Amino acid sequence: MRGILRQSNSSLLREIEQLTSALSKISVPAELSTYHRWVTRACNSLHKQVLQNLRDLEHSTDDMLRDILSETQRVNREFQLYNRRLVGPILRWLDSDRLCLRIIAWSHGNHPQTQGIPAGLSNEEFSIWPTLRYPIVYFMPASAQYGLLYLPLLFHEFGHLLYVCHEQEMDKLVRDLQEEIADLLEPVSQRNDLQAQEAARMRKAIVETWYEWTQEFFCDTVGFTIAGSCFVHAFSMYLRMVGRDALHLPQEELEFSRHPVTWLRIRLLADQARQMGWSAEADELENEWDTIAATMGVKEDYYGFYDPKFLPSIRKALDDMLEEASPYRFTDRDVSSSEWEPESSTPVHLLNRAWSVFLNEPSGYSDWEQQAIAAFLDKIAFVHRNLGAMEARAKCSLDRTPCLG
Amino acid sequence: MSAGWLAIQSFQQSQDLLAAINTLSIHTKLKLAGINDEQRAKSAKKAREILAAFLETFEKVVHQAEQARDAPLVGVDPRLRQLAKSFVSAKHDTRRFHSALFTKPISDMTYLLASTEEKDQQALVECLAEFRVLVEEHIHTDAYRILGEI
Repeated sequence: MRGILRQSNSSLLREIEQLTSALSKISVPAELSTYHRWVTRACNSLHKQVLQNLRDLEHSTDDMLRDILSETQRVNREFQLYNRRLVGPILRWLDSDRLCLRIIAWSHGNHPQTQGIPAGLSNEEFSIWPTLRYPIVYFMPASAQYGLLYLPLLFHEFGHLLYVCHEQEMDKLVRDLQEEIADLLEPVSQRNDLQAQEAARMRKAIVETWYEWTQEFFCDTVGFTIAGSCFVHAFSMYLRMVGRDALHLPQEELEFSRHPVTWLRIRLLADQARQMGWSAEADELENEWDTIAATMGVKEDYYGFYDPKFLPSIRKALDDMLEEASPYRFTDRDVSSSEWEPESSTPVHLLNRAWSVFLNEPSGYSDWEQQAIAAFLDKIAFVHRNLGAMEARAKCSLDRTPCLG
Repeated sequence: MSAGWLAIQSFQQSQDLLAAINTLSIHTKLKLAGINDEQRAKSAKKAREILAAFLETFEKVVHQAEQARDAPLVGVDPRLRQLAKSFVSAKHDTRRFHSALFTKPISDMTYLLASTEEKDQQALVECLAEFRVLVEEHIHTDAYRILGEI
């Protein structure tokens, strides 16, 4: 076993050196430089941990081999995470990434707890890997990265990072909501037969499923709070042609599903829009989805996983979570019809303006978008302002890395 | 939209636990063998803190899971719920799991983490070894989701 471990650690050491060497040869733009340094430092740290394994092998007793085996496997998994996934944003770097990275940096810079956290961008379905120990990666489908229309969906993903930053309080608020839903589902009378047992099992499944659902609804709320109507447009347009799954899921698929049915998410976004006084927009949004459902012959049914009587508790939970996370809130100017000004407007204003042009002047949209992106990317000042904070944050997060070996 | 957030957070938690377990196990075994391991003392102290903090939270989740098997586990992410369920099952699997962690209250391991008595350190090494088995089995699902299949 000692020989096997010595060989495997030596091989791992060589792989880490190869990757580090590849990283050192790549030149990245300012928007990605802190992420690049974070990943490089992490690889250097893994290198030290492998050297520690090799030293331990020299001095260990036989009963420690199991520990060193586990440690080698752990470091290998950690390395594979970087090798297969986290170096991707550096090795696949394209000039077009700067647009998304600027929007992400702006989101991070607007919140005290995410200020200076660097992020990378990768191709895949919209998603985020939000941890405070690894570099943050945002995932986006390729075509969505090149234009402005779907960038508001990044604010939903940013919501997951906010959740992590406030995890303890957030989990408590989610627990309160789950308990309220459990109370609402409690039957008036208790029986003790097979049917009652099945009903109890379903209640448990529903309440536990609401852990993930609440986080997703919270992230939708964050997206809407930051960006306003452009988030709703992007969300609806991106998801409304997904197919039947966006409107309906069978009961067995709802159990422990990671996301609520999209139609229900639309209902809650419409509810939030109405609370903002945007009733006409909310009606239009719901009508579009109702029309698609009617055309497909889909009947709205959440099999008890959602009931309108949950709504007051959901609203309260989301309000409390929003207060705890305190994201940027769109301003009147952000959602106004005024033209976007590179020097004085926020990215949110740009994204709302994009949807306004796209919906009202579709024939001229492509030219307008191209010019707007060029103007936005010329505005470089905020990136340089953020670099110092990003460096400090990256170092701090690496210091937290439990490189215990 | 994908729920990768859950897998990466769970992956990180398991990796951190394994790092802490391995560091402390190696350090304790070296000490028991009379070998000086001063250079790892700081890391071992940090590992004790990580494990103690985790076990404090985990004990509450396991308690919830044991108290009412038909009642939902609330305010807990599904991966931690799964680990708690695996832990409860492991307590009944006396053939594989027989250290103090699985036969006594979880808080006893917190005591072992702080103790400097030799017999407690022996018991701690056994607890760490069995806890590691549970976490290694648990991380497989997240590693598969994040890294894919080889």
